[in-house]
Amino acid sequence: MTTTQHIPVSALQPQIECIIRSLGSDDKTAQRLAQMGILPGTHLHIIRIAPLGGTIEVTGDQGQSFALRQKEIAAMTCEPVAMPLDSELVKVGQTYRIRALMGGKTFRQRMERSGIKEKKLLQIKRTGNKPVLMCQIDLNKPVELGRGEAKKIIIERISNEQN
Amino acid sequence: MNKTEASVTIALAAIPNSGKTTLFNRLTGSGQATGNWPGVSIEQKSGSFVLGEYSINLIDLPGAYALSPVTEEERVVRNYFLQSPPDIILNILDARNLYRGLGLTLQMALSGLPMVVAVNMIDEARRQGISFDLKVLSQHLGVPAIELSARTGEGIPDLKQNLYKVIKYPEKTRNPHISCPPLLEKAFSEITEAINQSGIDTRLDHTFLAMRQLEEDDPEQRENDDKVDVMTRKWYRRLKQSLRTSIPVACANCRFNAARGLAMEVLHDQPAFEDQLTKQLDRIFLHRFFGLPIFFLLMFLLFQGVYGLGAPLQELLSSGFDRVGTWLASQALVISWPVWLQSFLFDGLWQGISVVTSFFPIITLFFLFMSLIEDSGYMARAAFLMDRLMHWLGLDGKAFITLLLGYGCNVPAVMGTRILTSSYSRILTMLLIPFTLCTARLQIFVFLTALFFSPVIAPLIILSLYACSFGAVILTGLLLKFFQIGGTPEPFIMEIPPYRLPTLHSISLRTWYELKDFLFRAATLIVAGVLIVWLLIHMPADVPPGSEATWAGQLGHMLTPVFYPLGIDWQETVALIFGFIAKEIVVGGLAVIYSGSDLAGQMSGHITPLQSISFMIFCLLYTPCVATIATIWSESRSIKITLLSLVLGLGIAWITSFIFYQSGLLFGFH
Repeated sequence: MTTTQHIPVSALQPQIECIIRSLGSDDKTAQRLAQMGILPGTHLHIIRIAPLGGTIEVTGDQGQSFALRQKEIAAMTCEPVAMPLDSELVKVGQTYRIRALMGGKTFRQRMERSGIKEKKLLQIKRTGNKPVLMCQIDLNKPVELGRGEAKKIIIERISNEQN
Repeated sequence: MNKTEASVTIALAAIPNSGKTTLFNRLTGSGQATGNWPGVSIEQKSGSFVLGEYSINLIDLPGAYALSPVTEEERVVRNYFLQSPPDIILNILDARNLYRGLGLTLQMALSGLPMVVAVNMIDEARRQGISFDLKVLSQHLGVPAIELSARTGEGIPDLKQNLYKVIKYPEKTRNPHISCPPLLEKAFSEITEAINQSGIDTRLDHTFLAMRQLEEDDPEQRENDDKVDVMTRKWYRRLKQSLRTSIPVACANCRFNAARGLAMEVLHDQPAFEDQLTKQLDRIFLHRFFGLPIFFLLMFLLFQGVYGLGAPLQELLSSGFDRVGTWLASQALVISWPVWLQSFLFDGLWQGISVVTSFFPIITLFFLFMSLIEDSGYMARAAFLMDRLMHWLGLDGKAFITLLLGYGCNVPAVMGTRILTSSYSRILTMLLIPFTLCTARLQIFVFLTALFFSPVIAPLIILSLYACSFGAVILTGLLLKFFQIGGTPEPFIMEIPPYRLPTLHSISLRTWYELKDFLFRAATLIVAGVLIVWLLIHMPADVPPGSEATWAGQLGHMLTPVFYPLGIDWQETVALIFGFIAKEIVVGGLAVIYSGSDLAGQMSGHITPLQSISFMIFCLLYTPCVATIATIWSESRSIKITLLSLVLGLGIAWITSFIFYQSGLLFGFH
């Protein structure tokens, strides 16, 4: 199952990684990106958003760093592969694998106590502004997380591992 | 290539941020010349050096990502390759990230021209633990590849030796193979066949020409009906239907697939590496909360560095000039000359030279600090931080810095537009800078507000003038964006290069070239402008300078119908004519015109506070000075842009003053 989609502007946030499927309909922009080596198939990693918003720093899979505007990224079709747990792109009922825990040592220890570790699988039961409720597959024990906590947990899709 | 030919043209072609300018400076040293590419406002730099028995003409091509153009710079590079192919291509790759540049390298390797690849920044790559096998690179590309560091000079002799070998013993180059989808390959081979049959005489590879044909913007637009064009159109239509992407994107895809594989082989399959230092620094400089305060602090330091240090030096220089001028004028020999000649020499020519030299300190400091910011990699970060703010004016973030520096002095700011990457933002910024309130204009405002207003009101008036300047920049920006003066904006996709330590050598070299450029390109125009104003103020010879009977006075009277609705009398009109030389001399000019001992008293008796504000608004918005206009001309190389700048300044100044003065009268002020 592949879900190629336009990532909505509101969902653009650091730590999202996606595979570009098409460069968008503006020929000039597409050509510019292509000439810089950003092509369909490239893994794009959102690094940060400028303090005033609107401009986004991304890196390609060959280590190049770029600044783009929201409009350009939103025009691409992209397949999200990794995202923070609080992302809009997270879907209820999906199973994900934990890729990384971003916080400090205490945060990691606290998470580990409730069984949240790198490489573990988890399933989302509920999303939204209320605590994110998720269910861990290995333990089958539901865990509730706050938004701040969810932000620091990076998860990746497992359905398209073969890609 | 003809071995007996003593002069060889080498074109330096590379993607932006690969150290092209540094290598160019390293190879040519002082033998450089600048000009413009025909028809566009893009600088053409060439230099010469000697290689054994050959004299080399090195052409520095603008930075380009590919030969299928998106930007005006890339169009220049493409046209250059197709119309006057160089004898040898010198291409640069960034050792820290080979993949970035390989797309262009592969494209050029297909051209069939002899090429040498310089893998630059080897010192930094080594520091980051990258190692590679250049033999593999050289074999795949079919051309010599040399590792070097243009910054430190390491590997330069090796490069020269290889260039020499390529000139002396030219070998038939073997083009690298890039695999493409079958349909695209078929298109290339059929168009190549048509080119073969056309019997065209070129040193360029025919497949390379076929690729250029197909990657053009729109082959349908071409009128020619020869076989090649018919074939191209046929394939263009067919490919457009069957490819999922546009043709240039599909071609880029083939190239970068090859580039990815090649980079991996050369780098012994090392994973894409990360520059830890850059990552750490960016965490601070691009921080969500601290990023902007740090930026403004740095801008403050930059402003202080340029103008805080520059202004005293500037004053020292011009007072030195005055003193030397006075001393020369008092010489017995000079006094024996006719009065008009003395005046021409000292009030005209000497004054003009003095204006030119007074810019030296700030231009020097400006480019010292600017190169520091640019070479270190911070400029791209600044552009990233400021992009949102400038975007709705149709500009990119770098324009913010040049506009900001305009608040010190317009001349270096206009020169600084060179750092802008697209010609669209360059032209737009160049036209906006004259509306920034420079320190010379500030002097007029300080004098006049002190004269007409209480110490409480005066600062508020000056503050409002600053607001008026911001407003003029923003509104004119929107106006120019709306009318698409400068063409259409280019897509904003900016590379953020890793941080680097700039070297004194490259910074000082750059500053020196900028100064030289200013001297050769703008200086004559400045002196000419000063002389014209001198003529206006001093002719005819038998009346007191600046008085009603001079040409300037007559002009002032003639312009009365134009300036009367603004509340500006002929005396002030003449002062505005003085202001064309430099805004610093407006107050002095007023003293000459009123030719009395008590300027303050005379002026406050003659004009009302409302009129004084109207005059100040006009001063703020009209043409800053002849030096700025000369610099705009020398930077844009376009009469159209220069005239537009004049018209915009005068027009907006007139309209704003008119609205202000008339509504002031309506509200009962006078």
